[in-house]
Amino acid sequence: MEMDTNGAGTSSAAAGGGGVSTSTSDSSSAAKRNSKKPKYSRFTQQELPACKPILTPGLVITTFTIIGIIFIPIGLVSLSASEHVVEIVDRYDEGCVPPNYSKNKLAYIQSSLTNKSCTRTLNVPKLMKSPVFIYYQLDNFYQNHRRYVKSRSDKQLRSKAYERDTKSCDPEGFVLDGPIVPCGLIAWSLFNDTYGFSVKSKMLEVNKKNIAWDSDKEHKFGSDVYPKNFQSGGLIGGAKLNSSIPLSEQEDLIVWMRTAALPTFRKLYGRIEEDLQANEQITVVIQNNYNTYSFGGKKKLVLSTTSWIGGKNDFLGIAYITVGGLCLFLAVSFILLYVIKPRPLGDPSYLSWNRSPSGHPN
Amino acid sequence: MSGWDRVRSSTRSQQDRSQNSTQRAPSRTVTLGRVQPQAPSFRTIYCNDREANYAHRFKGNSISTTKYNFFTFLPKGLYEQQFRRVANLYFLMVSILSATPYSPVHPVTNVVPLSLVLLVSLVKEAFEDWKRFQNDMAINNTLVDVLQDQRWESIPWKRLQVGDIVRVKQDGFFPADVLLLASSNPDGVCYIETANLDGETNLKIRKALERTWDYLTPEKACEFKGEMQCEQPNNSLYTFTGNLVMDNQTLPLSPNQILLRGCSLKNTEFIVGAVIFSGHETKVMMNSMNVPSKRSTLERKLDKLILTLFGTLFTMCLIGAIGSGVFIDRKYYFLGLSKSVEDQFNPNNRFLVALLTMLTLLTLYSTIIPISLYVSIEMIKFIQSTQFINKDLNMYHAETDTPALARTSNLNEELGQVEYIFSDKTGTLTRNLMEFFKCSIGGEIYGTGMTEIERGVAERKGIKIQEVQTSTNSIHEKGFNFDDVRLMRGAWRNEHNPDACKEFFRCLAICHTVLPEGDESPEKIKYQAASPDEAALVLAAKNFGFFFYRRTPTMIYVRESHVERMGKIQDVSYEILNVLEFNSTRKRQSVVCRYPDGRLVLYCKGADTVIYERLVGGGDDLKKVTREHLEQFGSAGLRTLCLAYKDLAPDMYESWNEKFIQAKSSLRDREKKLDEVAELIEKDLVLIGATAIEDKLQEGVPNCIETLSRAGIKIWVLTGDKMETAINIAYACNLLNNEMKQFIISSDTDAIRAVEERGDQVEIARFIKEEVKKQLKKCLDEAQQYFNTVSGPKLALIIDGKCLMYALDPSLRIMLLTLSLNCSSVVCCRVSPLQKAQVTSLVKKGARKITLSIGDGANDVSMIQAAHIGVGISGLEGMQAVMASDFAIAQFRFLTDLLLVHGRWSYLRLCKVVTYFFYKNLTFTLTQFWFTFNTGFSGQRFYDDWFQSLYNVIFTALPVIIVGLFDKDVSSSLSKKYPELYKEGIRNMFFKWRVVAIWAFFAVYQSLVFYHFVTVSSSTSQGSSGKMFGLWDVSTMAFTCVVVTVNLRLLMICNSITRWHYISVGGSILAWFLFIFLYSGIMTPYDRQENVFWVIYVLMSTFYFYITLLLVPVAALLGDFLYQGVQRWFFPYDYQIVQEIHKDEADDTGRTDLLEIGSQLTPDEARSFAISQLPREISKHTGFAFDSPGYESFFASQLGIYAPQKAWDVARRASMKSKPKTNKKN
Repeated sequence: MEMDTNGAGTSSAAAGGGGVSTSTSDSSSAAKRNSKKPKYSRFTQQELPACKPILTPGLVITTFTIIGIIFIPIGLVSLSASEHVVEIVDRYDEGCVPPNYSKNKLAYIQSSLTNKSCTRTLNVPKLMKSPVFIYYQLDNFYQNHRRYVKSRSDKQLRSKAYERDTKSCDPEGFVLDGPIVPCGLIAWSLFNDTYGFSVKSKMLEVNKKNIAWDSDKEHKFGSDVYPKNFQSGGLIGGAKLNSSIPLSEQEDLIVWMRTAALPTFRKLYGRIEEDLQANEQITVVIQNNYNTYSFGGKKKLVLSTTSWIGGKNDFLGIAYITVGGLCLFLAVSFILLYVIKPRPLGDPSYLSWNRSPSGHPN
Repeated sequence: MSGWDRVRSSTRSQQDRSQNSTQRAPSRTVTLGRVQPQAPSFRTIYCNDREANYAHRFKGNSISTTKYNFFTFLPKGLYEQQFRRVANLYFLMVSILSATPYSPVHPVTNVVPLSLVLLVSLVKEAFEDWKRFQNDMAINNTLVDVLQDQRWESIPWKRLQVGDIVRVKQDGFFPADVLLLASSNPDGVCYIETANLDGETNLKIRKALERTWDYLTPEKACEFKGEMQCEQPNNSLYTFTGNLVMDNQTLPLSPNQILLRGCSLKNTEFIVGAVIFSGHETKVMMNSMNVPSKRSTLERKLDKLILTLFGTLFTMCLIGAIGSGVFIDRKYYFLGLSKSVEDQFNPNNRFLVALLTMLTLLTLYSTIIPISLYVSIEMIKFIQSTQFINKDLNMYHAETDTPALARTSNLNEELGQVEYIFSDKTGTLTRNLMEFFKCSIGGEIYGTGMTEIERGVAERKGIKIQEVQTSTNSIHEKGFNFDDVRLMRGAWRNEHNPDACKEFFRCLAICHTVLPEGDESPEKIKYQAASPDEAALVLAAKNFGFFFYRRTPTMIYVRESHVERMGKIQDVSYEILNVLEFNSTRKRQSVVCRYPDGRLVLYCKGADTVIYERLVGGGDDLKKVTREHLEQFGSAGLRTLCLAYKDLAPDMYESWNEKFIQAKSSLRDREKKLDEVAELIEKDLVLIGATAIEDKLQEGVPNCIETLSRAGIKIWVLTGDKMETAINIAYACNLLNNEMKQFIISSDTDAIRAVEERGDQVEIARFIKEEVKKQLKKCLDEAQQYFNTVSGPKLALIIDGKCLMYALDPSLRIMLLTLSLNCSSVVCCRVSPLQKAQVTSLVKKGARKITLSIGDGANDVSMIQAAHIGVGISGLEGMQAVMASDFAIAQFRFLTDLLLVHGRWSYLRLCKVVTYFFYKNLTFTLTQFWFTFNTGFSGQRFYDDWFQSLYNVIFTALPVIIVGLFDKDVSSSLSKKYPELYKEGIRNMFFKWRVVAIWAFFAVYQSLVFYHFVTVSSSTSQGSSGKMFGLWDVSTMAFTCVVVTVNLRLLMICNSITRWHYISVGGSILAWFLFIFLYSGIMTPYDRQENVFWVIYVLMSTFYFYITLLLVPVAALLGDFLYQGVQRWFFPYDYQIVQEIHKDEADDTGRTDLLEIGSQLTPDEARSFAISQLPREISKHTGFAFDSPGYESFFASQLGIYAPQKAWDVARRASMKSKPKTNKKN
């Protein structure tokens, strides 16, 4: 009897019972109509056309050689360009302190009574074609310190309307009279040494125009923003600004405010637009105002010509030559290795399971 | 039929008695969750009375398995899913921190990547939950018949209420927990399948109370007014207490009347019941299994890497913090430290400065933690599983129309590191389809087929064979795969021993316990058998012309052809006098029958060992030849049975029969006495021959196993079958062969049996444990010996469930583990589902190897969940295994593709993705770190906020995903051709600390190059205008170099570069330039420090920019390039060699060589080859594996008796049930 019900079960199951089984039979009949077979596509079957580079010894050697061949000439060119640049560097922070203050440089620089002017003589080693760029170089001066970098208000610099926008300028934001323009530590600590040059007692003109990047002058510093309350606090950080000249024309400030990446940095001071002959003696009268003595920073005066690559910097050239040379060396050593210890490409005996007895993990 | 009743009642009384004597509790092989303590109170339900129930406010029947609803999605999704990840939590913290003045960066730096990452994850989460919601809706809207106004109305499940009267039809699922009132079967009985609850596929019986049997029709049912008092909802599946109060009578209810939601109705036309628990209060919902979500090993290791990064981060911050405390000084007057200064820069309290700088640096270096890593990996894996695995045509099974299915995308790369596979036998390795394949009659082998194992052996030896052309007139049906013209269509009459053939066929047709079903014609008849072997034998007899078509309790009717002369067909009835049943100790089955002419014959079939012991003397040649045949069959993976007969003298039979009847009616030790009586008559048998049945393997299984074992994967077979069967299949699958040293630990020894007969449970346990310990120790010693020798034989362990139970004891576990890990194959037989899981976790936890379980049935669920990866076989009946699995494939052989292709690629790709992420973030952050030293440890940022925040999510995000999707070291066909490549994954070659350290080394090197090359070279004026660069010019330059280099570095790790690589890498670099062109070109109205304004244009106006951009990436990548070149040359990975071997080949699709099997071979050649391929040496293995698991319970369930379960019963997939289902599907 139970046999019979079992048989009945078979037939009614085939016909599809009620409830859930209805839905399953529905889905299976639907499956018949559209098969579940996945459609072929190169993507799903992971058969996208591909290039399969294999780092063969040949390829390695070729690559090294090519890099060497390209890099060494570039290096040589860069290096020679750098060599053509004539650069005079004169550190004057020590020398410009009168001997009687040498034990107490800080007192010297902080005193308003001392005579800050100082005369240095520079020898021009080679012909320096105009323009000769004048830089000052500071050392151990953390223009990239977090407290320093953020202590400015770009809005305020840009537009008169945001004059009071000094909340990022702490602690040089406000004085009693109102907001400081330009506010912040950067502006406050503006470099204020000045240089006067003469050759054979003939003054050399120093062009201080166009020493800042145009984008800074035109967009970041407003032509309607005039200095205000600047350096009027108790402590004077550095240079004062002429409050009748708009910020966009205060190029020293603009240069200074493009903060340097490293604690040792150079900044453009001006240009001498005359050739300097070899072996000429240049007399520099320095107003040594800026205090680097308290933190032991060096001050240097740099006169430099430029080439297409910029100032005197052998690094790139040397780096190129080193990398290129290294590549050639590696190429040669790879060739030697290839000869001494060759490995045939695709030799099955190198497969791990051919090297060690099978069955035992190595 | 009346005769049947007699047999049935006698069997039933036997069963009842045995049930009483043993007092076995119903089996509970799978326990779901912990049974919660029950509430003391009870509920009262008024059946068929919605108003009365309304007051109780029972829960409705609609269910919801979604994680979220509209309102909880955001908070819950964020809290539970996202911020459980350390990296996300860290970024949240950092984001909050970056809103404070201590932060050097604008909050966008951290908020943007975090919110992008969260957005992507949340969208994915929402999508998945939406699918769950739709699924719930589908279930809730399933229709069910409910009694309304004396009619059955179809209403959706969700509107069902407690107390409703419902009707469920055959194969329907119960919509709620239902009290069975009436069944269309007489006696109020119905059959249910509980696979969804406990994984048991055998049918269970439920019986309604006699008082309610009549409420079957709607007219009658609406009169039913009962009041039910029952327990509160709880999660105990096997208990129920309650009373039904009807007409002032209290009827106790038991679990026997309860139909649980999730079960389905079988073999019953319909039932009527009353709803007791609904919706979330049903027992199955109260039990709702939280399937533990699995995480891949690689991801866990990734966590360690992230922790290491945190450690590095902390160290970096500490260094910076100490530096800041030391550095800060009033002498730097330009920092304005003399006036009131915030704490962070106050030189008076250097400790506080350091502490606060720590916070600052924490936010600054946050990029070291790859925040987008997890979401990128998720995306990659999601696409890998949905697009590659699910749509792989190589894993599509056309016959069942089943593609592969990755049910989770968490474990893709785990597939590339599997070392142990635990496989179920039935339905996974085999098709559970027994086919009569060969036979040996009177010393002659018949049958021309070739088994898979023979084919496999042949293929390994490189000989190509063709599918033997079956002659057009041969009969092939399911269960009969035999072809030999010498036997078919009466041709056997011309063989040299036709009488033996006749006896052979008669033995097949008579000696069995098969029930015929359906029409009594050869085409339409169906055989119901306890085991598919039996059915195959009877089927064979039918095809040989001895058609068994009807059975009564006393008679067997056979339609015999060609017996007297060719072409004559006659119906012969044989009287069945006694059936000496099969059991595992007897290993044989006999039938005593009387021919119509009065001849008394005993037919016997059984294991060669037991039959040979009982043969009559003489005929040694035949015995020897037949034994050789048996061994041939056995080695070919066939299951053998010996057939014998004996003519009985009537008087001798009568005296024996008296003893038999006596034994049968004895009350004590009946089984034992029956066995003893059987011994008396089963002797002096005459050997007829042997049958060989192929336990049909799934397609390509031996090959697949061979490939997997070459890949260094060890395969264990865990099966509920008997030891003989399991060994047989292991042979057939090539897991065992005669060259292997086999260790067999079996509980089937005389000593153990003797102790068991004494019946003292404690003593048995102690004894078996001792015995197992002894055996284990012996095996282990021996194994150690073999292991120390270099070229010793491979080892194999075979252990049965009972021994395993003791071997898994903590004290012996270590020994078992050491022994089994040294074996190349392990076969566990007679194991329960729980033991399967235990063995799996033994290896998973004990050996810390990556395990994969594969199975098809509900009994494999626990094993599937216990392993690292669970694979279910889909496309057959029963979805339980699939529902519990992580991957579902249609065929065992697809494991090759799943593991060797997808798994290996996923592993390689993710290793690359992870290490690359690690590298790019470390490199980037280190440049920042070096800068810190030059800023007085103030924590000034080197890069603009937006550079930093977009670095991970825009400028370097896409290419790495492309690598995660498309990188291919070798093509899929090569992956399968060189399975050994897979070992690189098992050894985890690509994500070791050594690999990470190498990446870290180059990250440090590159970051130094970036930082120093760029800063040093920019210390003088650039270009002929003599103007100087500021901080932001330098940092933009450095950032450009980083982006370019890091993207180019990615190309260097690619083994194959598609156009997507070019597009993404080029696109990323381009995206950076586009971004910087725009970003530095505009002034924004909102408050932003215009640091980078016009920077890129200033930079690009100088030669310096181009020269540096060429120099720095080349110099940075030089180290990596050198390393890669040297590594490849002197320490090549295996895959690199394979790449080189096949470097000039076009990228083949891998599908063509799947089709190409074999060349030309005539059937004769094939046959002779097949025979030549059989092992030459004498093997002990003869392949007896008559399978009759759950024999008693099979008949019992046919007879409507709830038979006690044996542990291995669960493993049975009764053939009777698979048939209707497959019919339905086709």
